[in-house]
Amino acid sequence: METAYFIETIIKIVVILLVFSALAGFGTYFERKILAFMQRRLGPMNVGPFGVLQIAADGIKLFTKEDIVPTNAVGPIFKIAPVITAATAFMAAAAIPFLPQFTIFGYTVHPIVADVNIGILYILGVMAVGFYGPLLGSLASSNKFALLSAARAAAVFISYEVITGLALLGPLMMVGSFSLIDFNNYQAGGMGDWIIWSQPVAFVLFWIAAFAETGRTPFHLVANDHEIIDGFGTEYSGMRWGLFFIGEYANMFFISFVIVLLFLGGFGDGSVFGALMFLLKMSFFFFFFLWTRAAWPDIRPDQLMWLCWKVLMPLAVLNVVVTGFVMMF
Amino acid sequence: MMSLEQFENRNVSENGYYKVDIESYPETGWEKAKQVFSRTIRGELFVGLWVVMREMLKFDIHTVQYPKEKLPVGPRYRAVHEMQRLWESGTERCIGCGLCEKICISDCIRMDTRIDENSRKEVSEYTINLGRCIFCGYCAEVCPELAIVHGGRYENTSEQRAHFTDYEDMLTPFDMAVKGQVPEYPGFGAVTPHEDERVKSTPLAY
Amino acid sequence: MSEITITIDGKEVKTQEGELILNAARANDIFIPAICYLTRCSPTLACRICLVEADGKQVYACNAKSKDGMQITTSTETIEAEKRAIMEVYDVNHPLQCGVCDQSGECELQNYTLEIGVDSQSYAIKDVDRSIQNWGLLNYDPSLCIMCERCTTVCKDMIGDGALSTRARGSDAIDASFKESMPKDAYSMWNKLNKSLIQPNDGEKLDCTDCGECSAVCPVGAIVSADFQYTSNAWELTKVPATCSHCSAGCQIQYEVKHGSIDAPEDKIYRVQNEWNYVSLCGAGRYGYNFENKVDAKDEAAFAKAVEAFEKADTIRFDSQITNEEALILQKLKETKGYKLINEEARKFANFMKEYAAVSGNAIYKTPLKAVNDANFVISVGSAIKTDNPNARFAINNAMIMNKGAAMYFHPVADPVVDTMGKNIMSINHAPMLEEASMYLILDLFAKKDALPSEVAEYIASFHSTKTITVTETIKEKVVEIVKEMKVNEETGEEEEIEVEKSKMVPKKVEKEVEVDDNRLLEIVNAPKKFEESMEKLLKKKDTFAMIVGPDFYSHPNAKNLARLVALVEKYTDFSVTMIPEKGNSLGVAMICDLDELAGSYSVGYNVAADFVLSAAGKGDLDMPAMNQQEGTLTSIQLRVNPTNAALPYAGYELNDIANALGLEAALTVDYTEQLGAIDGFRAEKFDDLPNHFSNSGEEVRGYELEATTATTGDESVAPFDEAAAMSDAMVYLANPTLQFNDFTNMSHQLSEEVGLYVSSDYAKANELSEGDKVSVTSTKGSLELNVKIDSKIGGNIPFVPSFDSNLNSEALFNDYRFSSATIKKV
Repeated sequence: METAYFIETIIKIVVILLVFSALAGFGTYFERKILAFMQRRLGPMNVGPFGVLQIAADGIKLFTKEDIVPTNAVGPIFKIAPVITAATAFMAAAAIPFLPQFTIFGYTVHPIVADVNIGILYILGVMAVGFYGPLLGSLASSNKFALLSAARAAAVFISYEVITGLALLGPLMMVGSFSLIDFNNYQAGGMGDWIIWSQPVAFVLFWIAAFAETGRTPFHLVANDHEIIDGFGTEYSGMRWGLFFIGEYANMFFISFVIVLLFLGGFGDGSVFGALMFLLKMSFFFFFFLWTRAAWPDIRPDQLMWLCWKVLMPLAVLNVVVTGFVMMF
Repeated sequence: MMSLEQFENRNVSENGYYKVDIESYPETGWEKAKQVFSRTIRGELFVGLWVVMREMLKFDIHTVQYPKEKLPVGPRYRAVHEMQRLWESGTERCIGCGLCEKICISDCIRMDTRIDENSRKEVSEYTINLGRCIFCGYCAEVCPELAIVHGGRYENTSEQRAHFTDYEDMLTPFDMAVKGQVPEYPGFGAVTPHEDERVKSTPLAY
Repeated sequence: MSEITITIDGKEVKTQEGELILNAARANDIFIPAICYLTRCSPTLACRICLVEADGKQVYACNAKSKDGMQITTSTETIEAEKRAIMEVYDVNHPLQCGVCDQSGECELQNYTLEIGVDSQSYAIKDVDRSIQNWGLLNYDPSLCIMCERCTTVCKDMIGDGALSTRARGSDAIDASFKESMPKDAYSMWNKLNKSLIQPNDGEKLDCTDCGECSAVCPVGAIVSADFQYTSNAWELTKVPATCSHCSAGCQIQYEVKHGSIDAPEDKIYRVQNEWNYVSLCGAGRYGYNFENKVDAKDEAAFAKAVEAFEKADTIRFDSQITNEEALILQKLKETKGYKLINEEARKFANFMKEYAAVSGNAIYKTPLKAVNDANFVISVGSAIKTDNPNARFAINNAMIMNKGAAMYFHPVADPVVDTMGKNIMSINHAPMLEEASMYLILDLFAKKDALPSEVAEYIASFHSTKTITVTETIKEKVVEIVKEMKVNEETGEEEEIEVEKSKMVPKKVEKEVEVDDNRLLEIVNAPKKFEESMEKLLKKKDTFAMIVGPDFYSHPNAKNLARLVALVEKYTDFSVTMIPEKGNSLGVAMICDLDELAGSYSVGYNVAADFVLSAAGKGDLDMPAMNQQEGTLTSIQLRVNPTNAALPYAGYELNDIANALGLEAALTVDYTEQLGAIDGFRAEKFDDLPNHFSNSGEEVRGYELEATTATTGDESVAPFDEAAAMSDAMVYLANPTLQFNDFTNMSHQLSEEVGLYVSSDYAKANELSEGDKVSVTSTKGSLELNVKIDSKIGGNIPFVPSFDSNLNSEALFNDYRFSSATIKKV
């Protein structure tokens, strides 16, 4: 049993790593295509059919580019920072059930690496650690734009961790468990059981916070090209920069999974249909990240802070109080 | 005497300006709150989302896939120079007057001339240093014979810039000119329509 | 001539009585258009565009003389209408080929068409075939010709070749309706223009001295240099003001420089231009310009050898084709290092002037050549004038035509060019060695006898005797005859015969014996028959006299005596004296350098053969810059120190570098210009302060004039001449053909020619020689083998041995004198 469990876990980890690394690549492809379509362009077209192999071209390019560590950079930290981003993103994936459990050759597979009973807490924690990637990378770069990026990253992450946590309190109170499997089972009764209906404010707040956590438009200010070049990535080249990228896209996928699991019923009853719907719902949220990038402008750091502390946090607290009252009576 | 105010506004025309309609900024806290609220409700974010989604669904793509597809170039476009020949006779139009050489502001044209067997001026060599040419079009504009023109060949990638300045290459091929396959040049420097009506004719005794 | 005041367009202008209105206006910066007028020539009245109104009457400014108080208006309505019509006529059938025309950019037709504002054409006439002609060094395109006749005018009035004339154009008559509708002057100008074109006298080829002045004065591109044609536009050429170094005239020129070609982009000289209103060039100056010494880099090894050679040498040989500064460097080297300076030609000239100074009191001759232009009686002695100094010939010709002057040309070699200059020039071809006789004759003819030193007067008188000759005189005699006439008797009404006495004058030839003065000098110098009569004609109304002395005198065995005679002529006659320095800067060298007669054992040569040779022609052991590659000053026959500039770069060493290596100190050669001031006559002027141009009034603003210097005078004794010394056997003369002066003219691509023995066609016929025959010339001193070249510009029976090619050691045939007895045999 121990050995089988060990092997199964290893296999799951490898599968997740491979699948999401690849998905991160495809994520870039989708992003470029969708942004292009929305702007009446074609996007990548020349490498492979419809430009599909553009990912491979980019990969080859990233792998073969010269790795530069600037003279005044703090070497070890500079080198470890991208690893932190990518690693934490994948570590967070450990507590996410990607599919309902299924049976293959008589063997029941749980598509989750570790169904820990503090799953959601673990995910949020590890994702928060991911913020050390940009922060350390920035500070170690010895670059003024990276430094600005670090300051912004610190402000954004600390602020929106608060929103994430407070927004989740309501659903947690209702479900009474930190395990995402429990969350899923809580909503398995069909669409009517989805937490989104009972906790719409929490859903919206969590969603907004997800943009901040992943650093996507309109909260892309950690690496706003037109203000601070590439922010923390300014001094990075080659695959080191690529790791930041993979981390960002993996995060987008995982946060999409988490949103669906928390508020939109996850994989429901565990049927094949439920599994498909699960992937579809997740895809919508991923798509939405791209959609907003095409449609919305970025906002200023001060506006972001204003929104966090003056609007979202009071709303989140109110939501917790109201939830409490409702549950009391 | 012009007053200081007049002086400062000396280049500002009285009419022909639109005033942009800007709401006055909110001053009190209540007004600010109202503004936030109204902006939130108005749902402009969703308009943006809708617009891009609509465009994606329409799939009205404007991209020109350049090496495979090419847009037609306007006749007044100023790409790499061409030297023209006269129709049918195929004689080079260039008379070697040297005006292009003189007017060239980046000093990149040079020509050698000499007297030929028929006592006419002949251009024995002609070069344009494209490394210095800024494609301003003065040479084409000053040319009295429509001999040097800017062609439409804008794809100038080569291992050697000199590849574009070989006089033989710039010159319209002789056979094409003789066969009349080269259309009368319509572009930069060409005669404008109805030019005849504007010219006073000179009396002739023939 | 007195100063008067006239008013032009309300501006008061001071000028000389009788000055042309046009020149008065130009001198005062008032613009009057003029196309056909040339400043130093007679007005042609071909263009008629210089119309002005003087005291209410329309006159031509190039023709009308100013009178005191004249009121002149340059623009009235009728004048403007005339001008406009004239310019329109000039544009009739003028080809629209400005794009290729060489003159474009400096074309007077272009300029005036724009100035007058011709924007439409009212006149037309059928054109005739006017095809391009090649005239040798020139091309003539009659279709561009506007018949201003400046070329024929300058050729006749200035150069003296008279090689161009007009021919019929053969076009239709002008449409009769134009006579009514056109302004009067424009019509008559068109009428004249429509009838003629230019042609060389013999129709096809130009037979002249190839000065090319016609191409310089041509206002349009009709006459252009065949070599220059279509190689460059006027505006692309950088003009470098300079001074021509080929002969002593020191003409102001502009080297016109541009990059060579795409393949050979180094700068090169495209042509030479002159300020043709004020200076005329000969062919050598115009076409002999690309003699530069192309040196890519400093040859350090050769330089080290040169310094070594200088350290070793005790003698420097050089010729006079160097600048004053270089001459001064050589002189300073002599002073510091004790070199002997050897330059025979300049030394002889210096000695000649020294002897002249001892009598006249002037250290150098006093009068510049321009005095000849102002004179109306000119004598030239001892010079093959057209090749020794072409500008001197132009001056004589100009004086004869513009001042209604006359001239005498004393020289052993008959010169067809001089003879065609008009009937007012008398050539006297005396035998060589009888130059002194000619000088005595001049004294005899012009000196105030009672003022002359008595020995001289007596010596001259000894040639005079009286003789009785029979002259045939025509006298008119009154003859009375009685004629019978029929007359009607008034009383009777009948016709009757009456006798009437009628007297009339009938010419009758009478032979008479008269006693006349017989001047044996005339016979000695071989003067033409009826000399006295011709002289009387020539001297009529003459009041300004000028004499030109040539290089034959300086190298004459009796040069000292000749110099004293020249001084006597200057002192006791009205003649001013101008001497022709033999080479480009002979005068400067003679003044600056203290030249030695005997050379030492080891010599360094500058442009001449020696043990170690510095050569600007690229023929020596170390290269030197040629004249068009260096800055400096040249002393001219006009007694002027003229600056010249480097037209082309020079990368090698120059004389100054050697001088610096030998202990002198100067950053640049032209640093010596200021030091010239230490020499009598020169001024201490910095090179960069020397101007080089002509002002609007024609004033020569070039360098500075030498200051008059005096010398202590001695006695005025002169020696008698030896009639028996006259050379009568076969001989040769050391002189160059037209267009050649030295190696540098011969290096120029348009002038380069094979050296030969130049003979007149008469001589060739008499001796059965034809072009290209190889002959050996043997004199007492040596012999040479040469090819015969028949030169139509030489007369008489003395062949020329040229000195322009240093490869031919022509000096080998001659002692000092330019004539040498020699036998010429065909081989």
